[in-house]
Amino acid sequence: MSKVSFPNLKLTVELEVGGSLREALRRAGADVEFPCNGAGTCGKCRVKLAKGQEAKVHENAHRFLNEEERKAGYILACQATVLGDVTVETDVPDSEGEGLRILSEGNSLDVELKPWISKEFDGASTHLLAGAERIGLEHGDTTAHQYGLAVDIGTTTLVSTLLDLRTGKELATSSSLNPQARTAQDVLSRIKLGSEPAGLAKLQREIIDELSRHAADVAQQAGIKPEQIYEAVFSGNTTMLYLAIGANPVSLGKYPYTLTREGAEHVPAAEIGFAISPEGLVYLPPVMSAYVGADISSGILASRLAEEKGVILFVDIGTNGEMVLARDGVLTATSTAAGPAFEGMNITCGMRAGRGAVERVALSDEGIEIATIHDAEPVGICGSGLLDVVGELAAHGGVDKNGRFQYNGSSPDKPWKDRWDSVDGKPVFRLSGPVYLSQKDVRQVQLAKAAIRAGIELMLKENGLTPAGVDRVLIAGSFGFHLRTESLINLGLLPREFAGRVEFVGNTSRTGAQALLLNHPLRGKLHCVTRAVSVLELAKDPAFEKIFIKSLQF
Amino acid sequence: MTIQAEQLHEQLATAVVELDEDRTKELAHQAVDFGLDAWQAVELGLVAGMDRAGKLFDQEEYFIPELLLASDAMYAGLEILRPHIPIDTSAERKSKVVIGVIEGDTHDIGKNLVRIMLDVGGFEVIDLGRDVPPQTFVDKAKEIDADIIAIASLMTTTMDGMAEVVRILEREGIRERVKVIVGGAPVSQGFATKIGADGYASRAPAAVVLAKKLVSEKAAA
Repeated sequence: MSKVSFPNLKLTVELEVGGSLREALRRAGADVEFPCNGAGTCGKCRVKLAKGQEAKVHENAHRFLNEEERKAGYILACQATVLGDVTVETDVPDSEGEGLRILSEGNSLDVELKPWISKEFDGASTHLLAGAERIGLEHGDTTAHQYGLAVDIGTTTLVSTLLDLRTGKELATSSSLNPQARTAQDVLSRIKLGSEPAGLAKLQREIIDELSRHAADVAQQAGIKPEQIYEAVFSGNTTMLYLAIGANPVSLGKYPYTLTREGAEHVPAAEIGFAISPEGLVYLPPVMSAYVGADISSGILASRLAEEKGVILFVDIGTNGEMVLARDGVLTATSTAAGPAFEGMNITCGMRAGRGAVERVALSDEGIEIATIHDAEPVGICGSGLLDVVGELAAHGGVDKNGRFQYNGSSPDKPWKDRWDSVDGKPVFRLSGPVYLSQKDVRQVQLAKAAIRAGIELMLKENGLTPAGVDRVLIAGSFGFHLRTESLINLGLLPREFAGRVEFVGNTSRTGAQALLLNHPLRGKLHCVTRAVSVLELAKDPAFEKIFIKSLQF
Repeated sequence: MTIQAEQLHEQLATAVVELDEDRTKELAHQAVDFGLDAWQAVELGLVAGMDRAGKLFDQEEYFIPELLLASDAMYAGLEILRPHIPIDTSAERKSKVVIGVIEGDTHDIGKNLVRIMLDVGGFEVIDLGRDVPPQTFVDKAKEIDADIIAIASLMTTTMDGMAEVVRILEREGIRERVKVIVGGAPVSQGFATKIGADGYASRAPAAVVLAKKLVSEKAAA
């Protein structure tokens, strides 16, 4: 028998020699999806093995993994047969949803249970305490029911997680699209709308109503009452927090982007109409600037940036690319306006990451490989597919260093040369059927990636560092989770020196919020950390324009 | 014009559009050495090359780096030729443009591209930089008797400042004296019309065409 260990699940399962790693994941109860049902065509079940264990598995195929990833130990679980004892380093999600895991160095990090809310039974009734303060009284002994909600308020998506404050167990999760997006798509439009009292009231009502629905939903899933949720942590960017608590965001939309609220505070749930316990509280993590918000504070906590030694770069790739550079725990942060290209917006065939979206593209000497979400007929291209195709074209001479399509002449022998086509008299690169990439799309990607790259370069410069001096690169965010290092490097979104140092750490806003909910002393500690962060205003740096323009190139 | 001059003009234009600064300088020196008309070398060589680069930019063949590299080549050539341009040719009154990024906004790469293209297009451009209060646009325009105020904004949240410039011009009774053009990612023709601006351009080269049209309309009025 072979032993397959999952350190983050604190679990080892046994498997017949020659058995599939997919089966081991199933036995471990890991919630890894196999959208192509083990055909090896989607690349979704990638996991990383501990160093030096490559020889202990046999790989039938390794599509979607580049050489660098393979060297780092990545394999496709559905294509791997296990020949000896192996350790799966990837933090695989647990289908039971039990326990709290904070992604850090690929290991789990438990937090001690010290919630802000507690209860005391005096023989007749139960006192509700927030810290040392009595804030409520309930009949009888209700000490068995103490719940909290960790909420990640994204510009696009909302995720709420119900936790048992007495055990730290994750009980239920609810997620949905941020309803504000229907009213105003991007952050700036929401700031503009929220600058007027009526607009602010509308946006606040939209978000709070939706989060109240989440509270009801998770309560129902767990078989409790929403009134038994006594505290929530709202993690999100600065604008999302302002809108949720009904604070006027006008100053966030104009230089010098002044903060009127800095987080690290409680707001009574009743005051904002949030339907949890009437005595319930909402904790807002600290924010660092108008564009480096509570979500990034949570990320700093979840990735232990203030504690780890060495040089660590944390990047949240999205419409606003926020980043934090940690140098032996000394932190610098900034944000760059990447625009909506990564969400598939402003892109001719762009779409959100839904069914039929092209999410993976690989060019090679054999031709072109394309994967879509749910293996459906391609209907559009989402952010990860977009970065893949542009990165692959850049790497294989399909676009030149300035981003211009090389459709005549310079790539005649490429097996994908028949993909060049013309739409409205303009050249396009056709991926499949109705889905193609235009020259304008490449320009949008260039603008977006240059913004992030320029931010990275300037932060390094500010710290007297070069890309080679960075030990670890953490890519956060649920979008980042679907990206490939190779594409990010081919695009020049990340410097080539980062190869082999990149880790995808997932939604750290959510994990950070959960840690803050379960352990209140972390809040004060985090506030000390964020207060010491120096936030760079990129536009103010005279070198920005030059570096940005250089970063437009591949 | 001699064949030699025509050839050199074409070579200059090609060097600019091919982003070759060294070659442009070399050719500019040649033009001076051969005793060619420096004004013509600028207009028919350098500026013609920059126009071509602008067209390629419009067609999305060229992007921001190429446009800036072409302008680097053009300005390098201009520096060599300028001392040889007779005073009376260059002293002709140019139309004046006051340009800047509106208050509250610090994104100025787009504005810089428009400034370069207007300069190439024969305008005298006064750049107020970024985060510019509406009143400053008007004050500067009055001070230098500008023909056009060009305002950029990259943030939805700062666009109201553009409308404020138009309102100030009206309040001060000088709306007819100066044309207002607007641009930037969140700006549209619809917005321009709504705030009573005289024009909108989606791209830098188009801004020059628009500015020329407005100036000639103004002259005809």
